This record gives sequence, structure tokens and C-alpha cells, in this order.
Amino acid sequence: MTTEEDTPAQGDSVPADSADLAEDAQTKAAGERRSGVGRAPRWWTSFPYHWDSDEMVGRRALLRLTVIASGALFAATAGIAALSKLWPLGQVDRQFVARVSDVPPGAVKYFNYPGPDDQAVLLHLTDGRFVAYSQRCTHLSCAVYFDDLRSKLICPCHDGVFDPQSGAPVAGPPQRPLSSIILEQDGDSLYALAEVPHEA
Amino acid sequence: MKRDPSHTLDSEIEVQTIRRASAPGQAAVLLAGLAIGALLMSVQLWLLTVALDLYLGGSENGIWPLAVISGLVFLGGILAASLIGRG
Repeated sequence: MTTEEDTPAQGDSVPADSADLAEDAQTKAAGERRSGVGRAPRWWTSFPYHWDSDEMVGRRALLRLTVIASGALFAATAGIAALSKLWPLGQVDRQFVARVSDVPPGAVKYFNYPGPDDQAVLLHLTDGRFVAYSQRCTHLSCAVYFDDLRSKLICPCHDGVFDPQSGAPVAGPPQRPLSSIILEQDGDSLYALAEVPHEA
Repeated sequence: MKRDPSHTLDSEIEVQTIRRASAPGQAAVLLAGLAIGALLMSVQLWLLTVALDLYLGGSENGIWPLAVISGLVFLGGILAASLIGRG
């Protein structure tokens, strides 16, 4: 059923090229048969795709693609879960850190653990205990350092402060404690055994 | 009068189009399905980031439940897509 809006305006121009004329005639004839009236509007003949079929194909294909993407995300999550069982991170062999005699009480030693790019800090507390933490600040992963004057672990990026006794944050934006490193003393040698990640 | 072969093709296309015409409200159902699917995909993406964060942090616990939840979301998406497709 057509309305007055569908009837073409007078004075519509036709393409001058002969090939375009032939094609335009064919599409116009198809439009006329489809509309059931004597003359189809020019815009209709220029777009011969039927609206319903175009709409159905587009949305259903997108829904199918969404399901495929969902499957890909599930496969990635399952893959990470499998990796955590097959190749768990954080488990390294015992690594030598320092000699006890080289780190007097109140002193600090920086070392790399568990990997060469992972920075860590060893502290010999005044009460005689040895503690070690990851230098990665729990705020935005800047490298913390031990301030002798304040006897605190300081993050220079945003002035986060950590307690050297426990690694817990005491000031600044960090909310979680530093990852601690389990140490083992064998004679005069100190070894790092494992890194205990901070609780999320 | 010579029969135009394109006339037959257009008629067939019209018949097929009429048969595949959408039922009332089908478009709305499809849009709702797409919206819910996008929301669930964002949940799955969040689960993936949490799993990766736990794995890189060295934690072995808590990753498998995330994969199970993501799998349930995926199965739900398949079920919903099949139901919409039948409609």
C-alpha cells in the first residue's frame, strides 16, 4: 500500500550513461512489481534490499557472534585455570639472599626474587628478626624503599608507608600489605623460599 | 510476449521474504537478547581479568570457580540463543 509520500516528485532526473539507464530500468521494474503500483519511488529502486530479511539477518548474526565471543572468554578463563594447575607461578627453588654477617641489625639489603625482574628487600629488624618483602607497592606497583630515619618502608610515588614489622600499610593510599617472602636461615646464609602474595 | 526471467526471481524472493517475515515482537526479543548477552559478556570479561590477576599473583585457589561460573554463563547464552532462534 502506497501513500502520497511514495509517489515520486515531478522532475526527477535520470542518469545519462547507457549502462546506468539499463540498470535503472531493471531495478525500477522490480520495484514496480514489488510495490504493485504503476511507478515505484526512485529511492526505493535505488535500495532493492527488502527491510525484513535484512533486519533478521543482521541481528541474528550478531547474536550468534555474541555467543561465539562468550565461548572464547570462557575458553580463556578455563585455560588460565588449567595453567594454574600445570604451571603454577610463585614456586621457585630456594634462592640465596645474603649472609647473616653481612646484614647487621637495622640494615637493609635489596635483592631480586623470585625472578630477575622482581625486586625485594631484606630487613634485619632491631629485635633480631629477618624479614623480607616484595618491593612492589600494593597501590600502583612502585618500588618501595627503607627509610632509615623513619624506620619505615616508603613508597615514593604517592607517599605510602608500610610497617617493616609486618608489611602492613600505615599511611598513604595503599590498602593492602606488601607480599612477604618466606626466609630460611641455614647457618650463616639466608635463603628465600617462597613469596606469599598479599590477600586481595 | 516474452517472459522476463527476472520477474520469476523477484516473485520467489517475495514469497521467501513473506515466509521469513518476523513475528510481532521478534525484533524486541532479539534486542533484549543482545543487550543481556552484552551484559553477560562484560561479566565474563571481568571474571577473566580476575582469574589472570590471581594466576599472575601466584594464587592457585579461587581460579577454578571463576572458570565454572564463566562456563555457566556461556551455556546460558547458548540456551538463550537457541530459544530465540526457534521463535
